[in-house]
Amino acid sequence: MRQKALLTVYELAKHDSRVVFVGSDLGAGTLQAMNDELPGQFFMEGISEQHIVGFSAGLAQEGFIPYINTIGTFLTRRSFEQVSIDIGLHRLPVRLLSSGGGMVYAPLGPTHTAVEDFSLMLSVPNMKVFAPADAFEMENLLRASMDDKDPYYIRFGKGGENTVTEHYTNFDFKPKFFGADKSEAALFTTGVMLQHCLGARELLASKGISVTVVHFPYLNDLSLSQTASLIGSASLLLSVEEHIPRGGLFTQLLHEFANARISTKNLYQLSLPSVFSHKYGSQADHLDFNGLTAPKIAARIESLLITNDK
Amino acid sequence: MTVNYIQLASEIALDKRSKDLRSLVLDALEGGGRGHLGPALSLLEVVRALYDSVLRHDPTNPLLQQRDRFILSKGHGCLGLFTVLADHGYFPTDELKGFCSFESKLGGHPERATLPGIEFSTGALGHGLSVGVGMAMASRLRKEEWRTFVLVGDGELNEGSIWEGALHASQHQLGALTVIVDFNRMQASGDIDSILSLAPLTSKWEAFGFEVAEVNGHDISQLVEILGRPVNPQGKPRAVIAYTVKGKGFASAENSTAWHHKAKITKEEISALRAEVLSS
Repeated sequence: MRQKALLTVYELAKHDSRVVFVGSDLGAGTLQAMNDELPGQFFMEGISEQHIVGFSAGLAQEGFIPYINTIGTFLTRRSFEQVSIDIGLHRLPVRLLSSGGGMVYAPLGPTHTAVEDFSLMLSVPNMKVFAPADAFEMENLLRASMDDKDPYYIRFGKGGENTVTEHYTNFDFKPKFFGADKSEAALFTTGVMLQHCLGARELLASKGISVTVVHFPYLNDLSLSQTASLIGSASLLLSVEEHIPRGGLFTQLLHEFANARISTKNLYQLSLPSVFSHKYGSQADHLDFNGLTAPKIAARIESLLITNDK
Repeated sequence: MTVNYIQLASEIALDKRSKDLRSLVLDALEGGGRGHLGPALSLLEVVRALYDSVLRHDPTNPLLQQRDRFILSKGHGCLGLFTVLADHGYFPTDELKGFCSFESKLGGHPERATLPGIEFSTGALGHGLSVGVGMAMASRLRKEEWRTFVLVGDGELNEGSIWEGALHASQHQLGALTVIVDFNRMQASGDIDSILSLAPLTSKWEAFGFEVAEVNGHDISQLVEILGRPVNPQGKPRAVIAYTVKGKGFASAENSTAWHHKAKITKEEISALRAEVLSS
């Protein structure tokens, strides 16, 4: 996903001289060719996240469209004031491309795991927050971003995800549906967790349980009205996200349910816990430990359906 | 021979224009009943020299593409900037009297979205230099000739982000960028040497790759000569250390932490200050 994103930025930069890439000591890597071909649009700066956000704001104020890429925790935690004031307050089209969303960097420990990034970025006025599910959706999102003057935060997955959004060829900010308008259970998710939710859907289908998965790649506005018939029909609604319990998708759902005066009686949550994990291992280890793999999501749905029946 | 800029800044007498601008500062201070007086007065001649004689700018077209960019990174010194902008016609001087009121365009820190002539909103310290580095890079990429000036406070140099910006300005050899340090040697709670010494400040900026000049920050002709020197856009960025006096022109406010920021200012205090500026 990261590689596709960077290559898309390179493609956009070839056709539009306003597009610049800004990184912090990442090594040119994927973008060596961009560095060679478009040196004036490629900036690999020092390990200075506060600076690169301010620097990009200065460029954006002068009409450029900077795409910044570095590790997500450094963008969201260390640079928060620059993100809030230099970008958010000025409503500048800076795009924060956040590597290692969720537990991707689990082996590197809690300094590197972006488990509260949605919460931080959603709290910044004017910031639009995205979590695409695969490289295909990422590319569509980046192409669409060229027409938007607002700041963006985009969470990257680990990479190598299956392409599951191929039916949605244009990025339109709306929720993406996988399944029927009506079903026994609905899964609400975002980002690469869509992959795991679709796995759970398959497992349950083989047991005769119908599940519709709704993916929200754009977290600021869930356009909940589009899911009305699903919410009306399903006896179970489960929010699934690779994020701490508060401030992310589930919180956004609660806001929109409350604003629409919809009951949350059947709405449940699966997420990471609100802790700085002291376990390492892999992202997969953490998803499994926290019940966020396809089999465990499926098991949770089964158990909740049984509980609800009693 | 070593020039004693501290003494020169302290001793220099203010001319009529500087006194008139200070009267406008008092109008705003009186209207708002509050404000950062000391910082506004230490930087007033720097901003006056820039807008009177150095910057390419047009009050009737604040977003003129070829204008020089000026960022007041120490946003709390905004009363000085507001006064000079109003005096140049960016907005009516009467608006100064609404300072900090609910419907005013003039808040306690400058905002681009509300006031013509403000290049970038500041207030949280340590932001302006990196933004200025981005703007200076933009002028280079566009092959345009405008310059970027960033005014920082000496207390503001406590912020690590300033030095991140300085390293990058030097790395890119952004010669069209000038950092001006309002070196009044005081910060909010006391003199800088008792809180966080910046010595040796000149060689510090030199070590960061800047071409450094020192100047009496209340001497208009010196300021215009040094700030107006031709730049080499591909050369070293410049740092101008302007020796200033916090509260300059008001005897009771000079070098006073009490007047760094003051709220609930009384009419009697304003009257006393008006008398002081006339006799300075």
